[in-house]
Amino acid sequence: MSKNTNGKQRSGKLARRRKYMPYYFMLPVLIPLLLVFGYPLIKSCIMAFQNYKLGSGDIYFNNFENFKKLFGDNDFALILKNSVIYVVGSVAGQFLLGLGLALSLKKRFPGRGIYQSIVFLPWAFSAFVVGLLFRWSFNGEYGVINDILMKLGMEKGPAWLGTPGLSLLVVMIAMIWIGIPFFGIMILAALQSIPNDIYEAADIDGCGVFRKFFSLTLPFIKPTIIMTVLLRTIWIFNSFDLIVIMTGGGPANYSQTLPSYMYTKAFSSYDFGLAGALGLVLLVILGIYAVLFLKISKYEEAGDF
Amino acid sequence: MSKKRVMAMVLAAAMTATALAGCGKDGGKGDNPGSTTENGGNGEESSAGSGEALRFLDVSPSEMRQTYYEGIFAKFEEETGISVIYESVPWDDAANKITVLGGSGQLPDVMTTWSGWLGQYTQAGWVIPLDEYVGDTRDTYTDAVNKLLWKSEEDRYGHIYTVPDGLMVKGVYVRKDWCEEAGITLDPAAGWDYAEFFDVVHKLTDVENKHYGASYRGARGAFDPLLVYLQSYTEGNTYDQEGNILINSDECLKAFEDWTNIYLDGCAPEDAINWGFTEMVDNFTGGLTGTLINDSEVAPTCIANMEDSQWMVMPMPRSTKDGRIYNTVNAPYSYTISGDSKQPDNAWKLIEFLTTPENNIEYCQKTGEIPIKKDVENDPMFGPDGPYTVFVQQLNDPNMAVPAMFGPFDYTDMHQGMMHEEIQKYLLGTQDARTSLDNICNELEKRMKAYKEEHPETVIETALVM
Repeated sequence: MSKNTNGKQRSGKLARRRKYMPYYFMLPVLIPLLLVFGYPLIKSCIMAFQNYKLGSGDIYFNNFENFKKLFGDNDFALILKNSVIYVVGSVAGQFLLGLGLALSLKKRFPGRGIYQSIVFLPWAFSAFVVGLLFRWSFNGEYGVINDILMKLGMEKGPAWLGTPGLSLLVVMIAMIWIGIPFFGIMILAALQSIPNDIYEAADIDGCGVFRKFFSLTLPFIKPTIIMTVLLRTIWIFNSFDLIVIMTGGGPANYSQTLPSYMYTKAFSSYDFGLAGALGLVLLVILGIYAVLFLKISKYEEAGDF
Repeated sequence: MSKKRVMAMVLAAAMTATALAGCGKDGGKGDNPGSTTENGGNGEESSAGSGEALRFLDVSPSEMRQTYYEGIFAKFEEETGISVIYESVPWDDAANKITVLGGSGQLPDVMTTWSGWLGQYTQAGWVIPLDEYVGDTRDTYTDAVNKLLWKSEEDRYGHIYTVPDGLMVKGVYVRKDWCEEAGITLDPAAGWDYAEFFDVVHKLTDVENKHYGASYRGARGAFDPLLVYLQSYTEGNTYDQEGNILINSDECLKAFEDWTNIYLDGCAPEDAINWGFTEMVDNFTGGLTGTLINDSEVAPTCIANMEDSQWMVMPMPRSTKDGRIYNTVNAPYSYTISGDSKQPDNAWKLIEFLTTPENNIEYCQKTGEIPIKKDVENDPMFGPDGPYTVFVQQLNDPNMAVPAMFGPFDYTDMHQGMMHEEIQKYLLGTQDARTSLDNICNELEKRMKAYKEEHPETVIETALVM
């Protein structure tokens, strides 16, 4: 009896240990994460409700003043609109071109390896290098793009970086260029995991290319698409490096997005209170987006990633 | 305890240690709080010596500057036994870095500092007064240092906080060869006024041949040269003694329009609406623009990249209203002693050493600045036949005045944002000139009056004359 009890106790302990074992393994990652993400996150949430200007020495809680200032900013609507255009345009461009790239690389052809390594190269460049590259390419006077346009018969190319609308478009083009390989790699991996048998069965049933794509390929890669679009949207929404390097948000905030505006407020104006409020707004927007996106895309029903 | 559990704990501990080590710098060697050094090796050797190493922060690093400072610090150590750790931070991040270091009480002993940051730094106590250190040696400095820079600091902040590394004064760089082609004769000794300057800018513009009259500054800092032009209508002042802004009069509005017409009339490339310092200089030396208003520090770049026959320097234009030359004079990377320094006396020794006549002249020759000591004014490089003659000539011109600044309050956010954005909105046609100028002026006036209310003893800065 006591032997049985001891045995049960031991197996109970063992089960508990096994239950907690993964958490021990997670600790080394969890602790630094809490330090480098958790603390700044909480701190910025607090700063959002403070008059917090570095150097002033006069830091105090000011309720919702930072939010009032933010929403009362004459350029806020413009910056919000820019952010939406930037994210939707960049994600759509990256996804469509990335999907095309993955589909074209699915079948084996001579030189595929070399081609693959070349087209995936943009992903390896730093945003700083890409920013400089595109800034020069779209230079209104010496840029290669205007040179091509003039050779094609245009009298004078536009001032890409100095014209409202165009400056944001140039940043979007650069962002699309960087991100195509990410979608390409992820979707290609998903495509390669689809068993060939189903395509053979579809061929026997007389399915055309489009039917096979929409009825077989897309449903199979749907979990990958949902996850990559979700991740990439969040990354692009948060990114500000290309904007800072290429246009500085100008002219007159026409290429400014919420994160680049936050960066300017924090590290050029030192208004960390206002930047914190902006960060909180970004957090809420992205949180709502993630929940809605997963619900609408029925991620739970889409199967395993 | 099971073997698995022990292994798990050991692995977890090892990974934590690895991760934390990864967060550190160079395996923990030569860690200085807040250090931004790019040459940790040098710093480590220096600090290992006497144990009283000074930390020095350079806010405008370059290979040339780093080599110069490393050499001079070695000489300083030989003479005094005090070692110096060289730290650097790129100019674009410098203000942020100092702000962060200041906020956390980790400022280095000696910092190179731009005068525009002093309002914030003196308020925060990040730099200490140097009046007692300068003491009797004041006479050894040039009149420009005494009567302009230090006078201005004393008026604004009540004390001397900086020792200039060299002097920067603005001039107009002009494409000599383009002028010859256009039949324009310019005489630096005789100077010119703003009407003549605008005329030259228009005459040099030949868009078909990709010749634009001016390197127009449209982005950050766009309001700086415009302010000086507006002040040429207000005797160099920004406010009256009650704190009312002066640069929004109808006369100034007309000046605002004349200035921005450089861009609107097509005398600058359209992209110039987004240009900062780098683009302005690159496009002048690269052959796209015909004039460039900038400091003497651009001269070495012109010497390195252009033929002598291609460029020349004219003094800043005279006011079309009162005939004075209004020109900013500053020391871009002045030496300051931080409020966090534990050894300010040694820090002062280092500053004294850096600014001895022979060391200062060596420095200025490399950086394109004008020396700060009287003894070096006659050096051939800075004499009548040297490349800096126009800058020196302006500094000695009794007709020159240094206009007042934006104010003693913190205007960093305006300088980094709304000032150039308001001008850009006018250039893009989304608002009129009056609205743009008023938006800037109203905000400046609001801050000036708030500052004056908080500091009733404030005497509002006026233009300085020699």
